[in-house]
Amino acid sequence: MNVPVSTFDTALTLILIFLFFAEITWIVGIWGIFRKFGVKGWWALIPGGRKYWLGRCAGDINSGRVLCIIDFLLLFCHSYLLFGDENSTPYQGVEILTMLLAIGYFIYSWRLYSRLCVAFGKRRWQVVLWICFPSIMALIWGWSDKYQPVQKVNIYSNSDPVLSVQTKKALAESVEDQKTGLVVRLKYRAVRDFLTRRYLLRDIYLSIDPGRMVLLLGGSGAGKTTLVNAIIGYEKANAKILLNDKDVYSDYELMKYDIGFVPQLDLIRGNDTVMQTLIDAALLRLPTTVPTKKIDESVKETLEKFGLYSLRYNLVEKLSGGQRKRLSIAMEYISDPFLFVLDEPDSGLDGVVSRDLFKRLRAIADSGKIVLVISHTPDRAIDLFDDVIVLAKDSRRTGRLAYYGSVNDAREFFERPTMEQILQCVNQKDEGGEGRAEEFIAKYAERQVAK
Amino acid sequence: MNIPKNKYRGRLAQIPIYLGKCFRQFLFQNDWKFLPMSGLIAILVSVVTGANMFVTMEGTSQGAFAMTCVCMWNGFFNSIQSICRERPIIKREHRSGMHIFSYMSAHIIYQAVICVLETVIMMAVYVIGGMHFPTEPLITPWVYLDFGITLFLVTFAADIISLFISSLVQSTTTAMTLMPFLLIFQLVFSGFLFELSGPLKKLANLSIAHYGLISIASLADYNSQPSVLLWNTLFKLRSIEEVDLLVHYVEDEGLLNTILAKSGELMQEPAYAHTAENVIGCWGALIVFAIIFAVLADFALSFVDKDHR
Repeated sequence: MNVPVSTFDTALTLILIFLFFAEITWIVGIWGIFRKFGVKGWWALIPGGRKYWLGRCAGDINSGRVLCIIDFLLLFCHSYLLFGDENSTPYQGVEILTMLLAIGYFIYSWRLYSRLCVAFGKRRWQVVLWICFPSIMALIWGWSDKYQPVQKVNIYSNSDPVLSVQTKKALAESVEDQKTGLVVRLKYRAVRDFLTRRYLLRDIYLSIDPGRMVLLLGGSGAGKTTLVNAIIGYEKANAKILLNDKDVYSDYELMKYDIGFVPQLDLIRGNDTVMQTLIDAALLRLPTTVPTKKIDESVKETLEKFGLYSLRYNLVEKLSGGQRKRLSIAMEYISDPFLFVLDEPDSGLDGVVSRDLFKRLRAIADSGKIVLVISHTPDRAIDLFDDVIVLAKDSRRTGRLAYYGSVNDAREFFERPTMEQILQCVNQKDEGGEGRAEEFIAKYAERQVAK
Repeated sequence: MNIPKNKYRGRLAQIPIYLGKCFRQFLFQNDWKFLPMSGLIAILVSVVTGANMFVTMEGTSQGAFAMTCVCMWNGFFNSIQSICRERPIIKREHRSGMHIFSYMSAHIIYQAVICVLETVIMMAVYVIGGMHFPTEPLITPWVYLDFGITLFLVTFAADIISLFISSLVQSTTTAMTLMPFLLIFQLVFSGFLFELSGPLKKLANLSIAHYGLISIASLADYNSQPSVLLWNTLFKLRSIEEVDLLVHYVEDEGLLNTILAKSGELMQEPAYAHTAENVIGCWGALIVFAIIFAVLADFALSFVDKDHR
């Protein structure tokens, strides 16, 4: 059957007109959705960018980011398919690429719409409607009052929602350099998040004297590990970190031997014996001037100190959680670092084992070192700590210093008897907290400036 | 403890520390199982190709391809998970003063030893399995050593390529997902399965299987062997009366060997020339592959600090 060419042309024209109006409807709908989330509506006009921001609105930045890239690639592919030579090899290649990209586009769209349903507090089955009729759904959800997002998008901004420029300056000047101990002058720690810059930490100014055991307290995502990584020079921030009057950042290669970091997970090879693990750690961390005999003595001393001597020939994989944690600490201890940082050393340990561990850390601090510990269950050994650093998220979810001082003073400052209650006090409301973080960030800053 | 803090163990001094760890891993983490596995795979190849290997052109090319595949398989599996499975540990140790160069060098030395052992096992299986190796050596004074070096270099180059993949990816799942792509690339571009032409032929130069195949075929003096392809085809066409007459004539007149030899002459491949330069060129290419991917692996792993928590 011969179909007249004019029929094809008419059908093609109709399809193009339909696609054009569908795109316009989609843009109008997305504009409305952006407004509801507090995002600038004109982003709906930018190909790629609108997918990224839709991802931000849906709380799925990764899908938004990937769709943004796929959008641009598809734009290129479609342009090529429209104007390229149909019989050429690259044309076939672009056809296959378009097909593969379409698969990714579908999967990531499904993910994004699924999260968008959640962001609007709607049931996830509606993702099917979004996939089938995206333009209509965007229009309805964007402009109908019945559809309102659960919460607005956190727009990253350079402005500070809590402290004024003068206060920040005064706060920075409140911390003096000292010959011994740790001085932290962290202006900010930010990461580039595709089209925006996100602040993880801001305005952390403090100094810790030798011999102090300090608890680092904060809710999930408050930036505890980020702060620790910035302090030990592992993830550099816009900061100046001085350890015994030496700059950790500029002398990192040498300073790293003065810093012991025990990560949250026990990152030790299971197929080595306890003793061999410690010997290797000593060989890596100790200077070449230390004779082999001295290394052997140090290994023996450390094994005894951490209660691992009787287990020295056991394979690491056969150790219990507490024993493995002690080995993990011993691996750092053997090089005699001045600053000891531990990320949740008590996670997965029962109260008795945990307290025993903290007692050992106390002994290390008493020998003139600085011990900085992140813990989510601090109250069971709080009497062993000298000071506490409280990190809290402000309204832009940036980690801020809400308090640094002695444990007893912290109780007075927050008017709470326990560390867990202090944590609850500064945690965001959607995390089950009281959402008073900004109040205490400002209060602490004022107090420091007044001092 | 008052420790004078000046000089720490450098790149070379750290290599023995990690070499020790690798060999303890070999003993305690079941890495030793790669050795018997390589023997088992070699047995399969020996059983299938043993009789015609190095006897006819077709047997030699098929056998050479199978031997190359075994080497690549062994090499890829030796190291594909060796680095990515302990990536967080590497990150921690890098923080504490480990040099990536030392870690990688230790792994390369360790993998080289494993490859040597696997080659010895494979050669032993082939010899015991009755494979008719040529009698005349080409490069070294011993023919088995010529073949052994070739098998070792193919295994080692494959091993280092997968070591690079292992240092590039962050999980064992991703590494194992990439494995088939590596294998398929090597098989397709070996030049054995498909006739390559144009730009695709140039791509074959990036395949270690290609050099392995050429090297084995050259050592076996492929071009001097008889070809049974024509005769086998004629034999299958005996239902045609004229062909049947021809087959009987050849058999009755004792012309078979002459025809097989003549077929072989027509089937000669210049790429498989039985010359020392040809084989040494292939060995050189495999060594260059190993060096390039070792450097790339070292470079890729230096980004371990950027790993997300």
